[in-house]
Amino acid sequence: MTGQPIPSLRSQLAVLAALLILLAASASLSRLPLGWWGLVISTVIAVGQALLVLVIFMRLRHSHPVMRMIAVLSFAWPLLLVALTLGDYLTRYLLHAPW
Amino acid sequence: MNATLPEAAVQQQFDDASQQKEAAMLGMWAFIATEVLFFGVLFAAYVVCRWRFPLAFVEGSAHTDFAMGTTETAILLTSGCLAAIALRQIQLDRARQSAVLLMITSALGMAFLILHGMEYHDEFEEGLIPGIRYTQTGPDARGVELFFSLYYVITGFHSLHVLIGVVVLLVMAIRSWRGAFSSAYYTPIEITGLYWSLVDIVWIFVYPAIYLVGSAG
Repeated sequence: MTGQPIPSLRSQLAVLAALLILLAASASLSRLPLGWWGLVISTVIAVGQALLVLVIFMRLRHSHPVMRMIAVLSFAWPLLLVALTLGDYLTRYLLHAPW
Repeated sequence: MNATLPEAAVQQQFDDASQQKEAAMLGMWAFIATEVLFFGVLFAAYVVCRWRFPLAFVEGSAHTDFAMGTTETAILLTSGCLAAIALRQIQLDRARQSAVLLMITSALGMAFLILHGMEYHDEFEEGLIPGIRYTQTGPDARGVELFFSLYYVITGFHSLHVLIGVVVLLVMAIRSWRGAFSSAYYTPIEITGLYWSLVDIVWIFVYPAIYLVGSAG
């Protein structure tokens, strides 16, 4: 832990620039009538931004493997939750009484 | 004082400062995991409702302030970067610079809260607050009400987290200015930075879910 590398100022500012560029892209693309593709694009951009924050600002890249494992699991559980909940809603149908 | 702080600050259950720091970081990541689960449930509710009422969510999102939401996102992303740089500066033994950066981060958090408060005020004027002042009519009015219910729960809890972060950042800035931290001991600043990044990440997903759904309109 004590031997954790110190990131350069340039790298931190470059990540901020990348985050703001991605924000501008997300905001601009949302103005186009892309339908459900707009949702896909904005979600992909948001995941990219979150990964940048996790890896660079939260320093997961040089963290202990246990911290990285917790980080991955903490985001995997809500994904599983959403997938299973949607799986339930999308496959549910009304059961009609036979009489 | 700084040179002796790490040894003096080691609690009796730990062998050394390094072990204590690893325990603190592990505890913080466990806390972050529970926070992600907390917001994850709210996002799951959002996904189901959006699937069920797609047009109402487009209409509801069109009522939100796109420019304000984008500005708030830029503010939070910038503050996250400053918190990361504050950690870098304390690692380089530049405590005063770290304190100033933490102070600016806290101020940006406050700016975010003020802007969001202005948004809430505008929505109150427009009659968009379910249960308090909701005046919308039309075929999708109930679905829009559901959108705004989720909007207030998600952004309300997020704003509460921002408020806590603003206070903690301020405390860290004062302690750093007074020389409580150095390159030998900066765990509280690192943990505060992790918390602030979590606040950032939650908003990164809130922004497209709330503000970008109806902006193509």
